[in-house]
Amino acid sequence: MFGRFTKYLRLERLAKLLGMRKQIQLGFYGPVNAGKTTLANRISIDWLGKEVGKVSEIPHETRTIQKIENVEVTTNNGHVLRMNIIDMPGIATQVDYKTFASYGLTLEESKERAKEATKGVIEAIKWLDNVDAVLVVMDASEDPYTQVNVTIIGNLEARGIPMIIVANKIDLPNASPAGIEGAFPQHVVVSISASTGLNMEKLYEAIQEHLT
Amino acid sequence: MEIRLDFIPAATLAAKDPVEKMDFILERIKRNVIIVLEEGLSPREEAELIAATMREIDARDFHGIEFYRLDSRETRLRERIANYISGKRSGLTIVGPTRMVEAIKKEPDCISMLAKAEVECPTDAPSVAGSTKGRKR
Repeated sequence: MFGRFTKYLRLERLAKLLGMRKQIQLGFYGPVNAGKTTLANRISIDWLGKEVGKVSEIPHETRTIQKIENVEVTTNNGHVLRMNIIDMPGIATQVDYKTFASYGLTLEESKERAKEATKGVIEAIKWLDNVDAVLVVMDASEDPYTQVNVTIIGNLEARGIPMIIVANKIDLPNASPAGIEGAFPQHVVVSISASTGLNMEKLYEAIQEHLT
Repeated sequence: MEIRLDFIPAATLAAKDPVEKMDFILERIKRNVIIVLEEGLSPREEAELIAATMREIDARDFHGIEFYRLDSRETRLRERIANYISGKRSGLTIVGPTRMVEAIKKEPDCISMLAKAEVECPTDAPSVAGSTKGRKR
């Protein structure tokens, strides 16, 4: 048993050295409207030439898990990242259909969206046991020290899942990535703007260095 | 109008399995009781609390929760490792229905909770050890 495990580790290491390591399942977690789908779209458009999900200012636009398979990213220093990206619905502790109605949705549409949103949160939590690594996406213009962020990071720590915190939306005038670094000093933080593409190369390099 | 706070001793939840624990918490929250758990929830329990909350949300009465864990983030690494190994948890968790708890915010030297009492508080809620009542802020 032990010998078989050692052999597996050797093969894994050899595969990694040869650049043959299997694709990682990279989950995108974070609160609602942090820009997870915008980031997934940025990566998918840049490397696969297609968009994966609709983006909207209405909360809970992503209500089902979206998988982008076989993404190959070549970094500036020549490394090739092979990954399946899993864009999760945003994690929330409350879903009130009236919020959606305030964006102009009908009562029925709002209630249906709320129902789907709650299912999406449950699915995202279930998937914590199926990802190899995670990008925790946060809106750098918001207070990072929320219970949702603390719970996501605490769960990843408890499961031993490697993560990078993505301080997104740094193109906004009130963005403060330093606030995120201060709130979670024990983790790698990469500041980007998924909507403009700023610092995407730094993110790819960080994934290669810390998550593969 | 009054706001009810229940303080739940660690012993009350100690013998409950995860499902019973979530049921215990949400049963009170749905009756508009804010609860303070003497022993903070673990991250996995927090995730389970969020999932259980999502299953209970309905369009009419219950839209979710606000909660906050005052944890051992500030304690020394050695203590955190010892607590992790022994399964012991430090800190406390406060949970309330979102219709009453407007915000729970971490201040530099305290946790601040802003609550409102727009809804009728239940009068038939059974008391638990340490239960108390607080006036609207």
